[in-house]
Amino acid sequence: MAQYDFKKITVVPTGNDLIDIVLSRTQRQTPTVIHKGNAISRVRQFYMRKVKFTETNFTDKLSKTIEDFPRVEDIHPFYGDLLHVLYNKDHYKLALGQLNTARNLIKRIREDYVKLLKYGDSLYRCKSLKRAALGRMCTVTKRIGPSLAYLEHVRQHMARLPSINTGAPTILICGCPNVGKSSFLNKITRADVEVQPYAFTTKSLFVGHTDYKYLRYQVIDTPGLLDRPLEDRNIIEMCSVTALVNLHAAILFFLDLSGSCGYSISQQAALFHSIKMMFRNNPVLIVCNKTDLQTLEGLSGEDLKLVMEMKSAALKTIPVSTITDEGVMAVKNAACQRLLDQRSERKMKSKKMPTVLNRFHVAMPKPRDQKERPVCIPQAVLEARAEEAAHEERKTEKDIENENGGAGVYSASLRKHYILADDDWKLDILPEFLDGHNVYDFIDPDILQRVEELEREESAVEEDGGDFEIEDEDFTAEAEKDLQEIRKRKKLLIQKHRIKKSTAESRPTVPRKFDKDRKFTTERMGRQLSSLGIDPSRAIERARSRSVSRKKLRLRSRSMSRSRSVLSQRPLGEVVPGEGFKDSAQKMKAVTMARNATKKRNKDARRGEADRVIPTLRPKHLFSGKRSIGKTDRR
Amino acid sequence: MPQGDYIELHRKRHGYRLDHFERKRKKEAREVHKHSERAQKSLGIKGKMIAKKNYKEKVQMKRTLKMHEESSSRRKVDDEVQEGAVPAYLLDRETTTRAKILSNTIKQKRKEKAGKWEVPLPKVRPVAEDEMFKVLRSGKRKTKQWKRMVTKATFVGPGFTRKPPKYERFIRPSGLRFTKAHVTHPELKCTFNLEIIGVKKNPNGPMYTSLGVMTKGTIIEVNVSELGLVTPGGKVVWGKYAQVTNNPENDGCINAVLLV
Repeated sequence: MAQYDFKKITVVPTGNDLIDIVLSRTQRQTPTVIHKGNAISRVRQFYMRKVKFTETNFTDKLSKTIEDFPRVEDIHPFYGDLLHVLYNKDHYKLALGQLNTARNLIKRIREDYVKLLKYGDSLYRCKSLKRAALGRMCTVTKRIGPSLAYLEHVRQHMARLPSINTGAPTILICGCPNVGKSSFLNKITRADVEVQPYAFTTKSLFVGHTDYKYLRYQVIDTPGLLDRPLEDRNIIEMCSVTALVNLHAAILFFLDLSGSCGYSISQQAALFHSIKMMFRNNPVLIVCNKTDLQTLEGLSGEDLKLVMEMKSAALKTIPVSTITDEGVMAVKNAACQRLLDQRSERKMKSKKMPTVLNRFHVAMPKPRDQKERPVCIPQAVLEARAEEAAHEERKTEKDIENENGGAGVYSASLRKHYILADDDWKLDILPEFLDGHNVYDFIDPDILQRVEELEREESAVEEDGGDFEIEDEDFTAEAEKDLQEIRKRKKLLIQKHRIKKSTAESRPTVPRKFDKDRKFTTERMGRQLSSLGIDPSRAIERARSRSVSRKKLRLRSRSMSRSRSVLSQRPLGEVVPGEGFKDSAQKMKAVTMARNATKKRNKDARRGEADRVIPTLRPKHLFSGKRSIGKTDRR
Repeated sequence: MPQGDYIELHRKRHGYRLDHFERKRKKEAREVHKHSERAQKSLGIKGKMIAKKNYKEKVQMKRTLKMHEESSSRRKVDDEVQEGAVPAYLLDRETTTRAKILSNTIKQKRKEKAGKWEVPLPKVRPVAEDEMFKVLRSGKRKTKQWKRMVTKATFVGPGFTRKPPKYERFIRPSGLRFTKAHVTHPELKCTFNLEIIGVKKNPNGPMYTSLGVMTKGTIIEVNVSELGLVTPGGKVVWGKYAQVTNNPENDGCINAVLLV
């Protein structure tokens, strides 16, 4: 009933590899240093440990292998026979036996030499004894080298055997070579078996799974059988014979009606009759394949007679063509049904059945009178149902897609749901470049509002005509250009000055960590300066960032810059096209980030980002002193 | 699930990866460099093992090359001159060659009479008494030191029973008693595991012979019935002498050479 898994067998190392593994383990995992001057008991113990350790490792590895390999008697007879057919049971057992003998020999060597080591009275003697012990163990292992190689070969092949569940319902496909067994398997299951026109394409058993009535069935494809006596069969045919004999399954015997497999119907019938006794009480179905080439009715008289003979020995005969798929499902259903029936029968006959049957009871109420009581559905429900049926489904985008050719052919128009002022604009194409600029950089949702504002301001400025002395003058083209240049440079200078003024370079702040007691105030500075004889007022005001000169400069710059459009002095969060901000919120976020960064830097009295001065490289509290608890070997 | 020869089947259906052969070729070409890197970088016992393996391969390669280089030209062949061959005009009439081949038994009898034996190991290192025996203290106060324990391999016969412990002077521990020896036949060059019948002579002295101590050079008698030797008279030989060739206490086994 078990699912056998031969993939779990550990890899079998070769003889030399096993020796290397064990000896290097001994060298790594036992102490390696011993001296002549050590007490003799210690020397003995040292070498005895090595001998024992080596023996344990050899024994462990060999035991693991011996236990991992399945014992031919203990497993299901199907697998037992399969192993015998493939690997020769005797050879297999001999190899495992040799491993066992080697294991015992190594144990005996260890016992002998540990006994001898007890009499070792010098380091040299103990060392020689240990060397002799390990050497003998390795010689034993070298001698079983061929067995280990054979077992590794077997293991690799075994891991690729199909895992057949011997208890599950199974369908077995057999017949002459090339009749269409593998193509049938490919049709029913998802197994992808090679199908080729030459005989013996399938060289071993293949398994596929199929479903029928909520139950999973195994379908096993076998290599073709030739009509030979059992002794003459080769290994490939023996595989299929093993499956036939040992597995309880529904057998599908494939018959090639057209003879295109290379074997006539009489030959196939002969094969059928010779393997008939292997079927025992398994349900047999005869599948007449390749009906597209030759139908059952079109057969000649003798062939028909042979087929009828075969039919008498089997349950059913079904014509099938695997190429045209005709009859494939019928065969599968018939076989599965037969197996299901068999199972149910068996279960009914089993001893447990009455207990199960007694547990439930289907009660049929006795009718108390002959009155007819049909189904009763309220009218409202009926109406609702009718309405639903009449209600038309909304046509979805998916339906439109399917109508117009499917996923790859039709692409949905995402624009048709746009909400625009004028519906004609939905399908307009927007230009992307104009005069070397990206059009999108200049798109401003508030553009109309801005235009209005600008017009308003300009009209306001025009009324206020007095301050525009410079504007009244007529400038030549070069003078105009120079003026622009001067204004630009002035603007830059002002910006730079503003930045400079706001950093700590020009306005040094004492960071809070050095000024915990808040002693560095402007009053203190004022007092100290006045004690020196200097007027502190300007300094105090400068420190308080309210300088007189700045005010003046601001006024002057303001008057000078009146000529410029007032719009250049925008509110802070306003998005200027060309700056690269998505919207006002993003710009505010950027401004806030910049401000936060400068604030932190100013508190540390750093001039800018690149100022990484450490005031004290080795503060005393970190580089000196004892610790109250703990060690001081790390600072 | 992959079944049977699924790898070959996949290759048959889909062919190889586009770069498969190139990768394979390059990997194989890199193997040489990797081998060299491993040989140079490995430390300790691993490095020594690699070096040993490489040396063996080098020697093998050199031999094959030399073999190939041997010229196929013909050389002058010198007729082997027999030792002691004398040209005809110098032959002395008196010397005669022995025509009869003496049988083995007669040879043995002659040797015995002469008292000289040809042995594989004519000279052996003498073993001192304090190396051979370990002093065991006995008595209530552990002051008596007359007991000795043998520290070398010994042979005691099958019917051996110890003397009462109070009186036995030489103790032969059972852990050091051996009954079998690995005997090599010098001509056949094969080794058999034969039973020891007795210790014939220990070169270190008659006391050791009587104790049955086997050290290097000891002549022992072994049971050769499994070799199936027959005398010319038709009798089966079942005992022969052999000389011990190793130090049994260091190796844990007795290796001997048969004296034919």
